[in-house]
Amino acid sequence: MSGYAIVLASRELSRVQAVSTIASVAAASDVPVQIFATMEGLLPFRTETVESGDFDFGPVGAKMLEADGAEMPLFYEQFAQAKGIGDIELYACEMAMDLLETDLDDYVDVFDDTLGVSGFLNRARDKQVVFV
Amino acid sequence: MNDSDYDPDVTIDSRDATCPGPLMDLIGKVKEAEPGTVIELRTSDSGSKSDVPEWLDEAGHDLLDTVDNGDYWSLFVRTN
Repeated sequence: MSGYAIVLASRELSRVQAVSTIASVAAASDVPVQIFATMEGLLPFRTETVESGDFDFGPVGAKMLEADGAEMPLFYEQFAQAKGIGDIELYACEMAMDLLETDLDDYVDVFDDTLGVSGFLNRARDKQVVFV
Repeated sequence: MNDSDYDPDVTIDSRDATCPGPLMDLIGKVKEAEPGTVIELRTSDSGSKSDVPEWLDEAGHDLLDTVDNGDYWSLFVRTN
């Protein structure tokens, strides 16, 4: 096993934040991480969602949003920081993007590229797959 | 001032930052530090106080001391 391949299919803020937290620390600790955002997992990354703060959240997510940004960086800020330190790549699912009629310009600037299922499986071959 | 025997080469002030902020700040400094560098990490996050030593143990660096300053902790780390 040489790292984690995380499938992010949830739009729930707490899940997305948990993924960014764990993935960021792993990558910064020299454990390679690849994240495949698919289905509803793409939605929190939409620029209009980030700018409006209109996330799908429960009580813990609500507390995150109440916290000052400098004290509690949200998932996209954590990913951006991790990319500057470690080996972490994020891919947006092509199929889900097609269904949503969006392209990468509609999302915050954390994705390395778009990817299909075969591309993800090729990259996940030597990694432990985690489904969120 | 800290009640510690260690005089840090680098001080990281991560007070008020939540998990994993203090750890990420520390990792960034550790990666660019020479072996033998003493780093003081200041954190007010109790989770980070517990979690940082776990990371140090796995990464092979030394936790020299943890000082309770009342409203924050100072973790003294030596890089290897």
